[in-house]
Amino acid sequence: MADPQLKEKVEELIAANPVLLFMKGTPEAPRCGFSMRVVQVLDTIDVEYGAIDVLPALQPLREVTAEISDWQTFPQLYVNGELIGGADLVEEAFESGELAEAMGVEQPAAAQQATVPAQAPPLQIE
Amino acid sequence: MATDLRELEAMIEAALPGAEVEVSDETGAGDHLRATVRAAQFKGLSRIDQHRLVKAAVKERFDDGAIHALSVKTEPAE
Repeated sequence: MADPQLKEKVEELIAANPVLLFMKGTPEAPRCGFSMRVVQVLDTIDVEYGAIDVLPALQPLREVTAEISDWQTFPQLYVNGELIGGADLVEEAFESGELAEAMGVEQPAAAQQATVPAQAPPLQIE
Repeated sequence: MATDLRELEAMIEAALPGAEVEVSDETGAGDHLRATVRAAQFKGLSRIDQHRLVKAAVKERFDDGAIHALSVKTEPAE
């Protein structure tokens, strides 16, 4: 069972932050590729968000989020108290425009390009 | 530790009878896997609930550390 004090703290954080990311590492230095993908989406949307590094308390936090949202892998993105999901679901919601809509911000014009790996420009042959 | 991809497929199929399931190894290291699941049971569910069903089916392998990360792609079957 999850630690009740930690659970209460997590619930407070989710309620207090309209956009809250639980991730491995920090936005400046993500420690996991999945967390990095969510940070990239949030940076593209250019929204203010809270970020919590779960690594110092990984197992207790897993237990807490399993109880709160029936989800125990990280990253986890919460928008207005609702779990959007991990990297796959965040990217899907971003590409469909649902994520920006949930945040009440405008979909960035370059949304499609943001998650598709950059391609080398075609060679110019003079 | 190598993860048995067929075992994971069987776990998901057992949880979602009749589903088309494919689990592949993205990096070759056995701990970053991708599951593609097409199931009639997904109909009417939100995407997050579809993912919850898949993650719940393989929860044991997360708990014992065999899998570190699982990319999930779900699609309701007609």
